[in-house]
Amino acid sequence: MKQTSTLILHNLKKAKGQYLSFGFVICLTALIMNIALVLAFQTFSAYDERFAGLETADINFMIPQFQDNGEMISEIEKIDGVLTVEKHNGVFVTATVREFADSDFDMNTVFYNLDEARTLNLLDVSEYSDKSGNAAYIPIYMKELGGFTEGGHITYSVDGIDDTYEIAGTVSEMQYGNYGTGLIGGYFPTAAYENFADEHSGQRIVEYSLKTTASADLLKVKKAITDILSDREITALNINDRAAARQTRTMVCTLLIIIFLTLAAIILALSIFLSSFRIRSTIEDELAQMGVLKAVGYTSGLIIGSVVMPYILTGAIAAGTGAALSYTVLPYAAKILAIQSGFVYRPVFDAAALLITAIILIVTIFLFAYLSSRKIYKTEPINAIRGNTGNGNAGQNILLSALSVGIMVLLSFAGTLLYNVSVKPDNFMNTLSEESPSAIFTAQNDRLPELKNLLQNDGRVKLVLEYTSTSVSYADGSLTAFVCEDFGMAANDICYEGRSPVKADEIAVGNALADHYPPGSKIELTVSGKSAVYTVTGYIQSVNHGGLVCQLTNEGYQKIGGLLNTVNVYLYDKNADELIKEYEEHHGALIVSSVNYELLSENSQKMYAGIVSAIVVVLFVISVLMALLVLYVLINSMISRRRQEFGIYKALGYTGGQLILMTAARFMPVIALSASLSAAAGIWILPAINQMIFSRIGAVKNHFEVSVPVLLILTVLFTAVSFLISALLAAPIKKITVYSLLKE
Amino acid sequence: MSRQTIISAAHLKKSFGTKENVQTIYSDLNINIYRGDFTVIMGSSGAGKSTLMYSLSGMDKPDGGQIDFDGTDITKLNSDRLAVFRRRQCGFVFQQIYLIDKMSLMDNVVTAGVLTNKNKEDIRANAKQLFSLVNIPEITWEKTPSQISGGEAQRAGIVRAVINHPNVLFADEPTGALNSANGTAVLDVFSSLHEKGQSIVMVTHDKKSALRGSRILYIKDGKIGGECHLGKFDPNNAERCGHFEKFLTEMGW
Repeated sequence: MKQTSTLILHNLKKAKGQYLSFGFVICLTALIMNIALVLAFQTFSAYDERFAGLETADINFMIPQFQDNGEMISEIEKIDGVLTVEKHNGVFVTATVREFADSDFDMNTVFYNLDEARTLNLLDVSEYSDKSGNAAYIPIYMKELGGFTEGGHITYSVDGIDDTYEIAGTVSEMQYGNYGTGLIGGYFPTAAYENFADEHSGQRIVEYSLKTTASADLLKVKKAITDILSDREITALNINDRAAARQTRTMVCTLLIIIFLTLAAIILALSIFLSSFRIRSTIEDELAQMGVLKAVGYTSGLIIGSVVMPYILTGAIAAGTGAALSYTVLPYAAKILAIQSGFVYRPVFDAAALLITAIILIVTIFLFAYLSSRKIYKTEPINAIRGNTGNGNAGQNILLSALSVGIMVLLSFAGTLLYNVSVKPDNFMNTLSEESPSAIFTAQNDRLPELKNLLQNDGRVKLVLEYTSTSVSYADGSLTAFVCEDFGMAANDICYEGRSPVKADEIAVGNALADHYPPGSKIELTVSGKSAVYTVTGYIQSVNHGGLVCQLTNEGYQKIGGLLNTVNVYLYDKNADELIKEYEEHHGALIVSSVNYELLSENSQKMYAGIVSAIVVVLFVISVLMALLVLYVLINSMISRRRQEFGIYKALGYTGGQLILMTAARFMPVIALSASLSAAAGIWILPAINQMIFSRIGAVKNHFEVSVPVLLILTVLFTAVSFLISALLAAPIKKITVYSLLKE
Repeated sequence: MSRQTIISAAHLKKSFGTKENVQTIYSDLNINIYRGDFTVIMGSSGAGKSTLMYSLSGMDKPDGGQIDFDGTDITKLNSDRLAVFRRRQCGFVFQQIYLIDKMSLMDNVVTAGVLTNKNKEDIRANAKQLFSLVNIPEITWEKTPSQISGGEAQRAGIVRAVINHPNVLFADEPTGALNSANGTAVLDVFSSLHEKGQSIVMVTHDKKSALRGSRILYIKDGKIGGECHLGKFDPNNAERCGHFEKFLTEMGW
């Protein structure tokens, strides 16, 4: 080390700019990688810690209060693996939350008495004001995503009755957290709760919360519970376990971690190409000097060390800096995740993440730097002194191709995402949601045919379809059932394998059940103690319900449940608001409730468009930065290697501008060709990438379109921007005097 | 018969180095170059011969003074206008030749030719004539500089320098890197071009090369220390050689 320290310092000083740019890329890689690792290491453990801290039950299930009896708790306690059981009272309703993110949002909500004593599913209440008057406490998830504020008001509409409450505070809990499980909590002080429960006495429920032993098999415990309920002909309104809830709630976090790690891998691959190219260029440029060093007695190992060490040192410092800088971004990333996953945590310094980031980067840099500098071993001193420098174009072209392909993958992914959110929003919504009608009407009992007939004869209406989502029970818990008169008429075909049911004894099940219910197998469903067996005909996807869904025909559902009174209305034009107002005014007697789904979709789309735009901007900025850095290295190296050639051109009468254009144009064939090939390949590869990413959150059937014009525009844009960057970076050629070039 | 001035430089100043360590090359140098002359600039090592030639040709800017090149004060031109000026007015032959390594001889010449003539076929036809004039065989035209001898490369360099029919051909020690036979072949090309009326300015410290010139200028103490007119080159003219030798002795060579 002592022998080479002078050489290392000399190398570092000589090419400060190059090491700085290399360090910047590594810093960026470390930043992104450390964010991903800290999130991966801490989000899930923070979730578990919070879960344990609030004494959250491992299994919760609820039954109608009128079906509850005193013996139930002792029966549950006897189940193998159950430690403790606690009962909570509540009211389970489908509440339309008014002005949720400027729209009405239907949410299956369980309202609780905030003052009821509990030892399980503790509530961490953040109080804003005294809980006097008509106060309500809302989950943090609703506050963040719905745009509500403490001290403001919230209106719940249940069974057509609107009740407005002052938001007295927020509740942080780990039983629901977000709406991923299709349920969310609502909390009232005693007086308000009693009023509410009296108003909706038919929907009072009893919730049983269970703590199990560490070794307990949750599925077996759930099965034992459903057996007990089934024997007693008690309806399970909902049954949820710790594992399923955790998976659903941390889905976005998992997706974000995958995206961050992929991004870091792409940038790392580019920076490795960059450093390899640089090392090979350095060796070619300085082969004569290396020959002299060999001639005076330096071993190949010492010379390689002096070439590799500056990269290792720069990489190590940059990795540390990047990891440190990531802690300025992590709180924001954690906040985004908090909104999505419904719990708050503050990321802290993570030595393991730092160590892994640093080790991966340093080892990779060392490996590639060493491999790139091995040529020194084979170089005979006299040949080196004579200047057999070889040709660096191959490395340059590989680097440019890698840059173009890497960036085009990022841009194509971002462009396709943006296209499907902004230009073809139906593709995005159909991938992430189920049926998207213009409006939904729930008719009064027995008045559905009348309402349907009216709507069908309305010139504005394209289609009226009986379609409802309701809850059913099966052996391992509950499912959201989509019940439709004819799935062939539905606008969004969510069946990704097999087919939707067409007969009364057929069912298509959600992706969460796919492993346990192969096509042709039987599944038993229960509603209010009435059961029927169905044959599985296919699988459907559902992001919103974590795959715990099924499709039944109207006739199929009627075997276990009653008549359903809901219709989806599809309009030719966007005028759901006008239609709803008109029908509520003129045909109010027929209608229990109505939902402006058009508005809901628009708001969801706006929200997603905002997130996607942010992702696209980040990807574009990263792409431009990467192009800038790679081209900076190439052009810098080219100017220094071809200084004399530029001098000759200038002496012949070429202007600085001509030489800049020539330099910039030199890179374009490789960039344009690689970008075009990459874009062409994207037509086939992008659907697979989208499929891979979105299937992680349950969207197995991807409706995204890959737009050829978008890919074409991106290719032209990327080539043009690369040309501009190259021309800007080559500008120093203009300042060099021809005389100095020739004299060097 | 009065001679036509093509370059007229007055009060030229040029120095190198830092404020603390200034090395003045010349402080008030005046020089005229005449059309049709084969002007040779001589001087001791470090006298500023090449520096002067590069200033006169617009390759380098003097620190002060004016250079009138065929009616244009080139000291007032920016770098881009100087480039355009050079491509039309000047041709350059360098000691290190400076052909572009990865290009064939023909492409090296065409690269210069396209700056004033967009018709590549025309340029190639001219280049072929010039290659023949300087005795470069056709088989060599598509070879790269590394595949031919130094003499052939330098003659190709001359072809590149004259492809745009420059008013003045500048040469900086054109035989400095060549052996005797190759050097003579190159000098023969210069003499041949001069006979055809080409104005040439050559910097050299080689007497054999300088003897090809029709006018010898000697730089001494930052000024033109002396001037000698030799007339047309004739290798058998002993009197011309003696006159040249005497001039060099007077200049302290």
